[in-house]
Amino acid sequence: MMRTSRGDFTLCKRLTGLALLCVLPSWARAAELQVPASVEAGQAFSIPLEGSGQATFYLLGPDHVVKRSVSLGSELPIQSGDVRTAGRYQVIVCGSSCTSAGFEVKAAQPAHLSFFLHPSRVPVSTPGSIDATAFVFDRYFNLVLTPAAVDFQITPASGAGFSRQVSTRHGAAWMRMDSTPHEGRVQVTAVLGNVEEARVIQQVAAEACALRMKAVTSGDMVTLETEPVRDCSGNALPDGTVVSFTKIDKAGKSTVDTPIKKGIARVQFSVRGPAQISVACGVVLGNEVALGGKL
Amino acid sequence: MKNMAELTLAVKNISPRFVKAATLVIAACALAIAQSSPELPQVHLDAAGLAPRPVEELTGTTIARHYALAWRDLASALESGRAGGLGDEFVGFAKDRLVQRIGEQNQAGVHVRIVDHGHHLKAIFYSTDGSAMQLLDQAELEIQTFDGNKLLDTQNAPHEYIVLVTPGADRWYVRDLEEVSAKPF
Repeated sequence: MMRTSRGDFTLCKRLTGLALLCVLPSWARAAELQVPASVEAGQAFSIPLEGSGQATFYLLGPDHVVKRSVSLGSELPIQSGDVRTAGRYQVIVCGSSCTSAGFEVKAAQPAHLSFFLHPSRVPVSTPGSIDATAFVFDRYFNLVLTPAAVDFQITPASGAGFSRQVSTRHGAAWMRMDSTPHEGRVQVTAVLGNVEEARVIQQVAAEACALRMKAVTSGDMVTLETEPVRDCSGNALPDGTVVSFTKIDKAGKSTVDTPIKKGIARVQFSVRGPAQISVACGVVLGNEVALGGKL
Repeated sequence: MKNMAELTLAVKNISPRFVKAATLVIAACALAIAQSSPELPQVHLDAAGLAPRPVEELTGTTIARHYALAWRDLASALESGRAGGLGDEFVGFAKDRLVQRIGEQNQAGVHVRIVDHGHHLKAIFYSTDGSAMQLLDQAELEIQTFDGNKLLDTQNAPHEYIVLVTPGADRWYVRDLEEVSAKPF
């Protein structure tokens, strides 16, 4: 049976305390792996390594892994090339035991804009029809999450230009705008500091407006011809736009689709007796023409 | 000619048995693949208040599924050291960086095991033309780092990622995956 006297107990406590003192420094060293909370991408820095002897150092980043032997009690340089990609990095130093710490690499200054302009063609004077989205990246193509002001500069083919400034959120800035009243190319340039990206959108005439035709008869034949087909802003509809002529007479109903050529659409029908002819372009109906009295 | 006749007879005799056997082999392989492939991590997508375009239900389901596949493949590739295991879910910067990371892991003899406890995705941006979506992923991951068979470190903290996904013909691709400082859940 073992018995412990009071003196033995005191000695035991002292020995335990001594043992703890021996152990604590290694714990303290483990807790003293000092890394910055965050660094900018591509910025070199150093990590002080306390203690003595050799250890193995590991750096694990989003696209990079480093493993090398290091001497404790020195500064461990982290090269700029080791921290180019934004994200969380893990540092592990293993001597007799391993200690670890983490830090964040944040994107550097904006250097690239990834810019989308949608759609590529848009009718004039259409509300909310143009969308511009810009993603901001640094020189290492890390998304720049720090808010930045992107200036969208709009330059129409005719008329005064204008701009809109939008702040990025999570690296993206977007805006929506109406198309301008005149057809032609509109350039939208996303600008951030000295970084610029330009895209071009083609504005085309909107739906036809006040569509009118005239009829010229010659015997059984009638020639139908529209006036120059324009939208409500006065822009000519592009050649190739289809105009539909519909004739109703004794022979029945027939429709002819014909493309606009040089701004007008023309078609020839044979007519038997009274006839009614209408014209349409897209969803727009034009005037009607009655030939030879009522049907 | 005699040989041809023998061959035809042999094929006639063997064919039904061969087809049955092949069917069984394919079925067994499919079963084995299904059993061996790790389970998909849980992904929950919250798209409430998404701007400038709302997300359709089917799109949301597809994104969540492919994001889960992406993380399954990512975990598998980081552990096995096989970049080919990344599958088709990653493209662009995300894929380039992961491939490089896996290559350098292999050189260093290091690998990582991820125990994935799930992802809470918050959709934060969806472009009007539907060509890009940004997500904020709050992930619960246990990350174990090994040098050979020696466990170096275990991290069991919340992780937060900014994710850029873009649509392809039949899936949504992870184009950018950037970890940021996580706030406690």
